[in-house]
Amino acid sequence: MNAGSRAVLRSLVPVICPPDAVPYGEAIVEHVGLSLAATPVLVQRGFVAGLAAYDLGALPRYLRRARALTGERAERYYASWEHGVTPLHVQFARGVKQLMNLACYEQPEMMAAVGYRVGPWIEEVRAKRLRVFADDIAKQERQIIAPDPLRPRAKQEVA
Amino acid sequence: MVAVALHEGAHPRNVFTRRDLRGDTVLDCDVVVVGSGAGGAPVAAELAEAGFDVVVLEEGPYYTTRDFTANTSAMIRQMYRGGGATMALGSPPLLFQEGRAVGGSTVINGGMSWRTPDEILARWRREAGLDTSPESLDPYFTRVEKRIHVAPMDESAIGNDNWLLKKGADAKGWKIVGNLRNQVHCVGSNRCAFGCPTGAKQSALVSYLPRALHFGARVYADVKVERVAFHGKRATGVIGRSAGGHHVVVRAKLVVAACGAIHTPALLARSGVRSRSGQLGKNLSLHPNVKVVAIFDEAVTSWKGAHQAFQVREFAEQGLGCFAAVNMPPSILAMSFPQRGAQLGELMAQYDKMVLAGLLCEDSTSGSVRTIHGVPQAFYQLAPKDLAQMQRGLVLLSELLFAAGAKRVLLPFHRARELHDADDARRVLAEPIPAKEWEVVTVHMMGTARMGRDRSRSVVDEHGFVHDADRLMVADASLFPTPIGVNPMETIMALATRAAGHVIDNARRFLS
Repeated sequence: MNAGSRAVLRSLVPVICPPDAVPYGEAIVEHVGLSLAATPVLVQRGFVAGLAAYDLGALPRYLRRARALTGERAERYYASWEHGVTPLHVQFARGVKQLMNLACYEQPEMMAAVGYRVGPWIEEVRAKRLRVFADDIAKQERQIIAPDPLRPRAKQEVA
Repeated sequence: MVAVALHEGAHPRNVFTRRDLRGDTVLDCDVVVVGSGAGGAPVAAELAEAGFDVVVLEEGPYYTTRDFTANTSAMIRQMYRGGGATMALGSPPLLFQEGRAVGGSTVINGGMSWRTPDEILARWRREAGLDTSPESLDPYFTRVEKRIHVAPMDESAIGNDNWLLKKGADAKGWKIVGNLRNQVHCVGSNRCAFGCPTGAKQSALVSYLPRALHFGARVYADVKVERVAFHGKRATGVIGRSAGGHHVVVRAKLVVAACGAIHTPALLARSGVRSRSGQLGKNLSLHPNVKVVAIFDEAVTSWKGAHQAFQVREFAEQGLGCFAAVNMPPSILAMSFPQRGAQLGELMAQYDKMVLAGLLCEDSTSGSVRTIHGVPQAFYQLAPKDLAQMQRGLVLLSELLFAAGAKRVLLPFHRARELHDADDARRVLAEPIPAKEWEVVTVHMMGTARMGRDRSRSVVDEHGFVHDADRLMVADASLFPTPIGVNPMETIMALATRAAGHVIDNARRFLS
């Protein structure tokens, strides 16, 4: 993602993410970049092009780029895409929102704020499983590699 | 033991990754299997045990249980094709998810393990002329269930969201069944979709592939197969490329395509395979599914407890395969909400009181996979009949959740709609909802190389051999002549096992 795209995304953090996520704006933008990099190339290009169009699209109405809009004006401009003139506007606004919301609630502080503490939970149940069910686990691991041919005497007989 | 090594993170002998492929590579073997998921892994294990030299090629990377962490989005980026952003085009576009890692989609599925319903097998006999009686397939299902340890959940691992689903179904008097899953003492980390971090889920990664390796198979990760090589009509191997950019050529006596219902037809098309039936890439069915979020007064903590411990089957014979509780991490849930800003924050503050529940629809229409410049693209238009069916399902599911004590139910539409009681559900959902408003997803792609006896109507025979080629076989959900209405993993594995038996029985024909 180029610097321009990042600037547009950074300006959208207060519009799309909850107020308590705003301090994590840089991390959210970083995360959006990582998610985007994993998507098909066409999606990446479309997204970056969409951000550029979004940025420049504010000029006629606000005489400045979207990345420079704040507060009520940033909110109104995003809403105009969200309920947009064309399905393309709507789809783009929806896509940006989805990626940013994903990134937002992947921040450790945001997960903790909603009570999601899955790391310690995984450690707890993993340890419990190994402790309580060790015999059955070992039995299954033996079963996985125990000989059990699908066909009797099915040795390779062909040259 | 290999199985232990896979759990503990060691790099087993016979697993090769991009680090091992440092130049162009030519391999010789009896059987090359393209894809390491629910279809490829059983074929590889059965044929390796029978004494054949098997090479498995997997486009995605190789991970072990230890690599599966609590970092949701990293898991998605690493193991989901296209970072999870793959979709079938239509109105609405339909998001689908595929695994792209050693073990395929079995690494990221929920582990539901159900036999093909008898009425579906009867339909396949009737419509495609297949020998698919429950009796003839029973030995293969039994074998698969043993290998991947299909079992009911330990009650102690069932989370509150699933008990609430059961409470609602019981209150309505609806049929609800304990889920059968491929697991050994699942302890409810509820991370099935991001790689089981406890090793309890018996995905192909920790069951069939260790078995295949134990019996001498070789697994090459990070290798994308570009095409099947032919001599006349006879498949002679595959040509691919490693993630490091090196050519990989595998010469084999038998080629098995097991890349899933999106990529198998593309591989065949790229390789010049043409089906006289015109059915290659057609007949795509998806089991569209939709989800609702119910909010309760009390904390539910849905993220603690097994994924889908129960399924409501009351309406299965009416095309609504099942209702289930399917917790997702907050980031994934937040993605699906139409709210933003402060409104999103207020909603997400109730995450601990939420139950995410979904329904699966047995689709009545089909889409297609077209290969454009070598890349598959799925197209699928939801039928009005299926939309109406899902809308009916939403009413029923909402009724169930309110019966369980939910205070609000949020619907899966792009414009926020919420319900406050069962009457609300019936009233709001009485009006047709435009297709473009729906948010529909799937993880069950099927049918794009359908099997059948009649060459003019099918792509492969009942063992998966391509009608119009020699020594080229398909072993994945592409084979299904119709959608099956239940989770497809076990059906794929059973058909793959049967096909492996056919190869062993006819080794002189296929492998000499």
